[in-house]
Amino acid sequence: MIPDDAVERLMDSAQKIGNACEVAGVKEWEIFASQGYGNSLDIEAGKISMASGGGEGGFGIRIVEDGRYGFAHLVDPSSAERAIHQALSIARKSPSIEGFELPGNQSAPRVSGMKDKAILDMGPEDLLEQGDQILTRVAELDKRAVAVGGGIGVGAGAGAIVTSSGIEDGGVYTSHGIGIHVSIDEDDQLTSSYEGESSRGLLKDLTACVDKAVHWSQITRQKIAGGETEDCPVLMTSDGFSPLFSVVVPSAIKGERLARGESFWSGKMNEIVMADHLSLVDDGLMDGGMSSGSRDDEGVPSRTQKIVDSGRLAGEIWSTRDAAKLVSEGKVSEAETTGSASRGGHTSPPICGCSDLILSSSSNTHARDRLVEEMEEGYIIHSVMGAHTANPTSGDFSVTTSTILRVEGGEVIGALSQAGFSGNISKALSGRVILGDSSKRKGSYSTGSMHVPDVLMLDGLRINPA
Amino acid sequence: MVVTTRQSDSLFSNGRLLDEDKITKALNNATDLGAEYAEIRLVSETTNTASLKDGKLERAIPGQEVGVTMRILADGAWGVHSTSDIASIADQVAPTLRLAKAVAARRSPSQLAVGLADVPIIEDEIHWKSIKDVRDTDLDTRIELMLAIDNEAKDDEKIVSTSTGWSDEHIHTELMTSEGMNRVWSFQRSLINGMVTARDGSDVVSYRMRHGGEGGLEFIESCDLGEMGRNARISALRLLGAERAPSGKMPLVADRDLTGVYIHEALGHPCEADLVAAGDSCLEGRLGQTIGSEICTVVDDPTMRGGYGCYPIDDEGVDVRPKNLIVNGVLTEYLNHRETAHRYDLDPNGGARAQDGLHHPLVRMSNTVIQGGSHKDLDELIEDIEFGVYACGSRGGQVDTGRGSFQFAAQEAWIIENGSLSRPVRDVSVSGMTLEILKNVDGLTRDAYLGAPGFCGKGQTVPVGDGGPLMRIREALVG
Repeated sequence: MIPDDAVERLMDSAQKIGNACEVAGVKEWEIFASQGYGNSLDIEAGKISMASGGGEGGFGIRIVEDGRYGFAHLVDPSSAERAIHQALSIARKSPSIEGFELPGNQSAPRVSGMKDKAILDMGPEDLLEQGDQILTRVAELDKRAVAVGGGIGVGAGAGAIVTSSGIEDGGVYTSHGIGIHVSIDEDDQLTSSYEGESSRGLLKDLTACVDKAVHWSQITRQKIAGGETEDCPVLMTSDGFSPLFSVVVPSAIKGERLARGESFWSGKMNEIVMADHLSLVDDGLMDGGMSSGSRDDEGVPSRTQKIVDSGRLAGEIWSTRDAAKLVSEGKVSEAETTGSASRGGHTSPPICGCSDLILSSSSNTHARDRLVEEMEEGYIIHSVMGAHTANPTSGDFSVTTSTILRVEGGEVIGALSQAGFSGNISKALSGRVILGDSSKRKGSYSTGSMHVPDVLMLDGLRINPA
Repeated sequence: MVVTTRQSDSLFSNGRLLDEDKITKALNNATDLGAEYAEIRLVSETTNTASLKDGKLERAIPGQEVGVTMRILADGAWGVHSTSDIASIADQVAPTLRLAKAVAARRSPSQLAVGLADVPIIEDEIHWKSIKDVRDTDLDTRIELMLAIDNEAKDDEKIVSTSTGWSDEHIHTELMTSEGMNRVWSFQRSLINGMVTARDGSDVVSYRMRHGGEGGLEFIESCDLGEMGRNARISALRLLGAERAPSGKMPLVADRDLTGVYIHEALGHPCEADLVAAGDSCLEGRLGQTIGSEICTVVDDPTMRGGYGCYPIDDEGVDVRPKNLIVNGVLTEYLNHRETAHRYDLDPNGGARAQDGLHHPLVRMSNTVIQGGSHKDLDELIEDIEFGVYACGSRGGQVDTGRGSFQFAAQEAWIIENGSLSRPVRDVSVSGMTLEILKNVDGLTRDAYLGAPGFCGKGQTVPVGDGGPLMRIREALVG
């Protein structure tokens, strides 16, 4: 899927662009290069509708001059001179940040599980066979069920970073992902569920996603009438909680936002911000982590960082520039990079972002059935619509769910057709909370990868049945 | 099929990036090998983004990206190859054809083969020239305009931070097909946005603003940016201390931004014929049926110059036109591309859009607007509401097209009591079922126009415009 010498080629081109920077008189430069390849198939209306392949890549140039930085990106290295000129011109219009310089070279720990040879060896036909497996599984599980949408993809990418400060690093990573949207449309009632999973290694059991999608399409068919609006306990499955969590929490732990008063946790360092048995760790070194690696996206060694320790806000994440900037502005007395720079690819400069973010509990965690018993009365929510409309500044959210089960007497008694669901994530996590016992990763987002179990939140949430 | 040739102004063009002879040979090769249809589409984007944080330049990013996608239809199935390496695309004919045939081989006898509706085969160039070409705008000008927002937005001690952003792009597309289509088009988009964060003790809120559309610098200059910043500041300060919105079913009045998001989510997406064909739309089989109140007429119009969702030609080379999705409450048209037009025996209406040169076209909206009604103004809309909510500004929305349920969230809102606006509330979201709530629209003001620009995600992200008049919904689920 990827040429054997992909990294060497990128490093070579990046070095040439770096040399062009030197010729242009640029003393501090950073070249970030990426090249990705992939195959995918689309599923629609119970069949494979399309197979695709391809690749893309390019280079990002960041230059720093007297604490000012400029950036430009390009696809063809032969146009580097123009891009360098653009970046230089921008740098000269940018504010100078005292103490800001590109990170120096430090040895970085090795993170394993970033690539899987089995994926590198996969061809389009292998992927089509996986598509067949999925469609067969849907039909086996429920004759009424149809895979109305989804797909499978495999990817391999090469990345490299070369800087004037001596960082020269690169590597290959792989990914394998599945998304499946199953619906059951019978007796004028349609229920559906979307499930997804991705991994750096070959997914061993593609049908697990299918099983879950069919299961949720089935169990939400036993409709009951919605009751009154009520403030009540809610058990969010990890799949339902992860999108909300990803919109609100990664943003709140950025050092810059905390320092500027833009986070609901601003001014609360060393204070209790979550239930005292909860901890939050940003792990950039997770083996096989979708957002981990030996270095961050500006070449700084990755690390594992405690953000919330037993409910107490204990850390924050920084990129090199943000740290220097907020110190020079006097917003914080000291700050330094935490190896938390990330990019959306070669077209963007590094910005601060979390890696593999893990929510855990030091108290007893329980299987889902036990959590339902603990809840006694309330609701289970497996997915929400509008997670992206949550307010990352305040933590407030007001979303809608059509995958919601009513619990009474510690047992599921039926499903609502639709309900509003609102509250504040920060406040809910600082109240009475019990976590599930599975911490499997649920979702990779532009903000990082979330590792959250099922979460039973007993306080501050409101259900508004349709 | 009709072959036409048009005269057009090419001064705006980047010139041709595809090697026409080489591409023609590759397309012929595809049909020689058994393809029913083949196309190669290149998109070159010249972009500039910039942002200020608290009035200081945070980043400015000039970019030049090129992508090219080949689609091959063989034995009634698609194979696709996308790359940023333009020179290599012609070499991918055979592997992509094999992909298409492998997909086709898996189709059961009961499943329909893909076919394409006939369209006029056109060779031409269309370039929508901006008055002030974005490629001529310098960074100082961008900074100055962003500062016009920032200076007004930050003018209160409770405003703890401001950020402003800029994005402009020149989009150049070339499409060649095995049918002989050979079209080139280009146009520009410009966008300016901002966000203010206000804090009072532990209470922290944010408010976003956005202005943008098809066109160059003149589009940004036409906006009173100072007023935009001022309004954002006032709104953010008003949100501080605003109580939580009530929950339950009640009358809702939406401003233009929210009306636009509502019509985009609740109606526009279920009208996309690729979702209908996938069995994932609540509007399947409902063409010609009354699905909304008779005061509802909704148009999706990519020709509405200035709208953020404009485009001169769709990404299959089909001429664009306004699409009447609902006329007086009756569903009259789906948005379609050539594949779905063929499937449903409809006229192709130019609804194919791809995110960029590295993605294949899907059925997408453009500028979606609900037409004006008969109410004079907001006062007239709310005068007989005993208790309800007036919601303004969009934080986005989402739809489950199959189930027909949707959700959208407002930036700010007021309680309506006894025919008047009373106190502000926050965190208002609205949800409902498409087939119920369209019938509950019982009031529209006379003037309809586009609200703030938006971005629509459907696996791929494309810019869209949406809007309408102020709209009253008799009963909606709030909170």
